Amino acid sequence: MVTTIKVLEIIASPLVALIIGILFLGLFRKMMARIQWRYGPPLIQPVIDLVRLFSQRGFSHGAIFDMGIIISLAGTLVLILFIPIGGMCPLESTGGLLVILYVMLFAPIGIALSGGGGVNPNISIGISRKLILTLSYEVPFIFIILALMSYYRSISIVEIVNAQAHFRWSLFSPLFLSGVAYFMILPAMLGIRPFDIAGAPQEISSGAYVEYGGKYLAFAKIEHALALFIIIALFVNLFLGGGNLLTFLLKMLAVFVTGVFIHAVFPRFRIEQATKYLWFWPTIISFISLIFIQLIRWQNG
Amino acid sequence: MNNVLKQELESTFKDISLSIPEDKRMVITASSVQILTILRFLKDKGYDHLAMISCVDWLEQGALELVYLISAYMKHDNEYTEKEKLTITLKTMIPRENPEFPTAIPVFENSEPYEREIHELYGIKFTGHPRLLPLFLERDYEIPPFRKDFDTREYVKEVFDKIPFVENKQ
Amino acid sequence: MDRNQVKKWLESPAKMGHKYSLWAVYFCTGCGIIEVPPVITSRWDAERFGVLPAPSPRHANLFLITGYVSVKTLKAIINTYELMPEPKYTVGFGSCPINGGMYWDSYNTIKHLDKYIPVDGWIAGCMPRPEAIFIAVTHLWTLIDKGMAKGYIKYRENYERYRENQEKALGRLEWPPLFPVKDENE
Repeated sequence: MVTTIKVLEIIASPLVALIIGILFLGLFRKMMARIQWRYGPPLIQPVIDLVRLFSQRGFSHGAIFDMGIIISLAGTLVLILFIPIGGMCPLESTGGLLVILYVMLFAPIGIALSGGGGVNPNISIGISRKLILTLSYEVPFIFIILALMSYYRSISIVEIVNAQAHFRWSLFSPLFLSGVAYFMILPAMLGIRPFDIAGAPQEISSGAYVEYGGKYLAFAKIEHALALFIIIALFVNLFLGGGNLLTFLLKMLAVFVTGVFIHAVFPRFRIEQATKYLWFWPTIISFISLIFIQLIRWQNG
Repeated sequence: MNNVLKQELESTFKDISLSIPEDKRMVITASSVQILTILRFLKDKGYDHLAMISCVDWLEQGALELVYLISAYMKHDNEYTEKEKLTITLKTMIPRENPEFPTAIPVFENSEPYEREIHELYGIKFTGHPRLLPLFLERDYEIPPFRKDFDTREYVKEVFDKIPFVENKQ
Repeated sequence: MDRNQVKKWLESPAKMGHKYSLWAVYFCTGCGIIEVPPVITSRWDAERFGVLPAPSPRHANLFLITGYVSVKTLKAIINTYELMPEPKYTVGFGSCPINGGMYWDSYNTIKHLDKYIPVDGWIAGCMPRPEAIFIAVTHLWTLIDKGMAKGYIKYRENYERYRENQEKALGRLEWPPLFPVKDENE
């Protein structure tokens, strides 16, 4: 009985993530259009794009070019199984947070691998910017995770979610500063303006995705939708206390809409401005929060 | 200022003809061997901006006329002196058969693209130019296109209209 | 617009997908490109039809050639056209690709674009208004529906003739043939 439920959860979890991710992509374009005083595409426009991309005969640059995008998509798909969505978490374990920290890097590394097969210099510029951005936001991210692990005395995300039941959200506890720092680095993790440096269409012709035609671009878009879902879900689980499925999705919607509003207003940073910002205020705030949490722990014995 | 410069030029160089058509212009017509010395003289006087090199095709006289436009850069903000308001036009005639001319790069370095353009469109060979490659054109033309005896309609009929449409082979 | 007819989607999803997600390569030829930014921004919104500018030819399926084509531009156009994945559609924009337009007797522009790459439709005007661009997009939908927009198939089948014409206009071509060309001496 338990095994059947587990198998069903393993199948249903990525499906929910895919549907919600693609819905978010469509909602993104529609909201941006409405903010700019025009009608936008319908909400299912990403589905139409994917259907069209799958029916085009793309061009492959060799075996390693194909392998790279598959590794990237596979890494992101596996990551969904470790994140609790509403009430279900297929692969819950005692080390959830650390797994997430490591497997989150499969996506850019996979694309870097396939970028080695394509011969376009735009790919190397794009992927180097993406990896530098990842390096920049990992520093405050590590401080935030350390503060969380110290306060809740556990590395498992499911235990952290359960400790936040009944409105004892992390955002309202002594971890408040960590929450603020996490919100400040959230645009960098999502890849929205002002930090959409890696996939800039005008500057570097979409950077790492410039040589992807046909089905490769479709996989890249699916991976983008899943990554969007994963990062918002992580924030909601760690700081906003994800509840049952409906509350969870409503909280994700709220965070996403705030993200779209931020995206609509800001221009794009350069990569050195992004690193300077990410290594300054969010790092300081998350470091202060980490020290604060350690002092509280020392106080309480 | 104009008159001072006019007297200096007329005293230094023999047979050039100088005219001042209006207040801020000066037109100098010289022979082709004197051009580089006049350019060097003007540059030493402080007129260090070569605006353009252009070319006119006089078909009846059988000559090509090179035109150099010189003026002075502005040295201080919001303050034009008399020297900077003057534009000097320097003209010379060269014969039309196998035209050759020394390049002006030793005096003004920014004359490189202008000389490339004149070479591909009028056919003047500039001796001493480091790379005299075409700037805008891709094809080869027997008569350079901007000369007055180049018939563009004939060229289009010969080259572009003779290329057939592609019909679907059934 | 039949975007919401589920039956048609289930019959031929590829055709409907191509109709309602036309991404145009943002290749800015000649003077006609000044008419494209008003089309894709807020006043005459093209995104509601699914038309977006694509930054790379590998992502796109529509090629808008806006304005006159000089010989140097023809090289870039042929390269970009061959980079796009199939199926792809080309639209000639303005009167210059149709018959030379204003530059009908120029020594450096090509007069009929149809001899060098296959073109599915033309938009007349110098420059066409944004409303004309939208009418052209809806006509292209009708052509795709009926299966009449077969430019890319024509290119694949008659590639030797196209390559001959390209060599006559450009001299020797630096890139290898896209489809295998039969040698005449066989």
